[in-house]
Amino acid sequence: MKRIAIVLLIIVATTDVGRAKVDLVTLPSRDTVQLTIYNSADMTLVRESRALTLKNGENKLQFSWANTLIDPTSLEMLPQANADKIDIADLTYPPRVRNLGLWNIESGVNGKVPVEITYLTSGLSWRAFYMGTLTENEKTMQLKGYVVVTNNSGEDYENAQTRLIVGKVHILDQIAELARRQYPYGRPGQVPPPPAMPAPQEESRSRARVTMEKLATMPSIAKEVKKEGLSEYFLYTIEGTETIPNGWSKRLLSFNVDQVPVINLYKYEEERYGPSVVRFLSFKNDKEHKLGETPIPGGMLKVYRGVGDQGHLSYTGQSSFKYIPVDEDVELNLGPVANLVVEPKLMDFKTENYRFDRRDNVSGWDEIRTFKIEVRNTRDINVKVEIKRNFNTQYWDIDNNGDFGSFEKVDLDTIKFTLDLQPRSTKKFGYILRTYHGVRQEDWTSTEQ
Amino acid sequence: MNSKRNTIMAMVLVVGVAAIAEARIKLVALPERAATVIRLDNPRATLIEEERVLTLQEGLNKVDFSWKGVSIDADSIRLRTLDHPDKVTLLSVSYPPNEAALVWDISSDSDYAETVRISYLLSNIDRLITYKAVADKAETFVDLKSYLVLRNFSGEDFDKARVLLDYGEAFEQGIAHEETKQMLFLKSPKVPITKVWKFDAAKLPWDPEKLENQNVGIPVSYRIVNETKSSLGEFSLWGGKARLFQDDGHESTIFLGEDVTGLVPVGEKMELYIGDSRDIVVTQRKMQDTRVVTHKNNRGDVVLYDTNEQITAKIENFKDSSAMLTMIQHIPGQWDMESCNMKYEKKDSNTLEFEIQLPARTQAGPAVKELKMTYHRRHLRPGREPQTPVRR
Repeated sequence: MKRIAIVLLIIVATTDVGRAKVDLVTLPSRDTVQLTIYNSADMTLVRESRALTLKNGENKLQFSWANTLIDPTSLEMLPQANADKIDIADLTYPPRVRNLGLWNIESGVNGKVPVEITYLTSGLSWRAFYMGTLTENEKTMQLKGYVVVTNNSGEDYENAQTRLIVGKVHILDQIAELARRQYPYGRPGQVPPPPAMPAPQEESRSRARVTMEKLATMPSIAKEVKKEGLSEYFLYTIEGTETIPNGWSKRLLSFNVDQVPVINLYKYEEERYGPSVVRFLSFKNDKEHKLGETPIPGGMLKVYRGVGDQGHLSYTGQSSFKYIPVDEDVELNLGPVANLVVEPKLMDFKTENYRFDRRDNVSGWDEIRTFKIEVRNTRDINVKVEIKRNFNTQYWDIDNNGDFGSFEKVDLDTIKFTLDLQPRSTKKFGYILRTYHGVRQEDWTSTEQ
Repeated sequence: MNSKRNTIMAMVLVVGVAAIAEARIKLVALPERAATVIRLDNPRATLIEEERVLTLQEGLNKVDFSWKGVSIDADSIRLRTLDHPDKVTLLSVSYPPNEAALVWDISSDSDYAETVRISYLLSNIDRLITYKAVADKAETFVDLKSYLVLRNFSGEDFDKARVLLDYGEAFEQGIAHEETKQMLFLKSPKVPITKVWKFDAAKLPWDPEKLENQNVGIPVSYRIVNETKSSLGEFSLWGGKARLFQDDGHESTIFLGEDVTGLVPVGEKMELYIGDSRDIVVTQRKMQDTRVVTHKNNRGDVVLYDTNEQITAKIENFKDSSAMLTMIQHIPGQWDMESCNMKYEKKDSNTLEFEIQLPARTQAGPAVKELKMTYHRRHLRPGREPQTPVRR
């Protein structure tokens, strides 16, 4: 439903009559409309172009937006031709009328003038979601990215160029709240009233359905989504135009990449994940992985696995992930698993190097723990396992033995072992950890691990 | 004066007063309001100045000024005669009981049609300032516009008035009660900007890996200097809400973000926080924090100690453009730096500021720099350590 209306009133300069004569001249319709939709905030920048027929002299343009979620303080109109001859003197929000703005335009031209009207509205949103299909050997994955655009703005935007912004924008006020204010800028000395109920959705379903059916019969060629960086954000431009009636959502394919190499990464960290091993699917947003042209917006990924030759699928799990810059690693948490086992066992515990204070109380000692860690891959694919151990103290020394793969100190009290395991294989390694307590900490010297 | 409304100001000239009557007589000509000025140079109060022509008679004239439905600070009302200032004298001002009114006693040496200027402070009429800035695609300058938003909820309709700020041109405007008007009053094209990324270790999480599925955004701001070089610098820029846009290179713009600025005097900087960068990632870790006991009491308790601490911060730039990151680190109490692989400026006793130039990402991957600083904190007393700033 069209809720935004523009009425152009021309005030014919009448010198002899005291009151200006108001003529209703034209009701210009939108020529083009562009939507730039944000997902970090409920906000859309709308840019529409309309051709106004102006007369020499004073013109008044009335813009009304009842039952929409437009922020009136964001309204701006700019002439696209004869800019030097057209002066937009002011924008007035008349008293005791809601959802109405009146532009006073001094025109030095007579005739059609293209203008651009921009404003921010609430109610349009988009989100990204993904579908991944692993090959049977889980070495590669087909990754499809989708965007879903939803229109709850109260306004039908027909044939709109649709653009999406990926990024976190700083805003002070919710557009929806600004849209519901009785007075666009509030009143002096008054705190804005609490937000009212959302705009009523009086959409006629049957009409909207007709629109959608009409769209469904149109030739279905997948549209391209063009991506480019701007400031700290990414701009996705959907090819052509879109019509999204109020109340409807639309899903569009953003990208489709086949054979993205993936690493089956398993992590074990008792303090964080408990006793289970957690499965991750890891890849990198770079060229090697057939990605890396743009960052990947955060969203939910549902992972499936191909089973058999018939193209059947098995559902592996789902993971939401954060925004992934170009060249950054992606780690998708698919939840705890039982087919990979990490078993740390304390094999021996002893204390030594006791120190005593003047009253012969214990003032320092060392604790020595011998751990054995067994890692079992029961799956028939290659896996990579990361095991983190936290020591709760920074005064420690370690002595590794066995096949512990690569080993690194993460921070002052955490170390990480990284192992690669063949299908259906087991690795065992051990370490002896000495921790220093009490005054023995004074004897500890840092050795770069 | 708008007679349609009942929230009006009335001025009544009482002629030929011989004695004070019990009921005050309020009649005679209702002088029309001529030139009106709405002066908005003081953000705390709005001054109205209006001119009216009083038909004065020789002798003592009583002029009654009353108002209804508007809030006027009675103590602020001033009267000034403009045509015959030496011959027309204001003798006294009296306030009738329980009335929003005052009575001027004016002495005139002849019959005059005297123009007077009445000034007063009127409540519930004010102005806001808003900014709109459109940056170029390369983010080197902005086209800055500022709007005056006049809000009139005073109860009074102004058919025509000169609206004045402390600078810039006056606007000829009428404004009705409950009306809001937005007028462009400053247009400065090509104002240079500096883009600033800032990581403050006391405000942002240290290790993004420890956050489940959350990006740590590095705040990004535009810095504008109010100086002549920026085609500004003539006057202070008032505080208000600023909305920033950017030219997208397709004859359109995107909305970058919004912030509110305070008053920016000439020569000072305006910093507008637009949004967060998720393409610069900082991973900060404490790699060492050991205690070195320097003294024990005779019971063997530690009473004084030093520390050896090491902090590393890996900075990765995933952007395809270079960036200058301002990194702020905090070390509380007494300390000395043993080694630091980057230059810093000591902003105060416990704040260090690093300006880190990050090249753009290359084919090989993100541009990576690592800060490593090893320092000692001195003379710490157990239980009385200086407050460590917020972490993680």
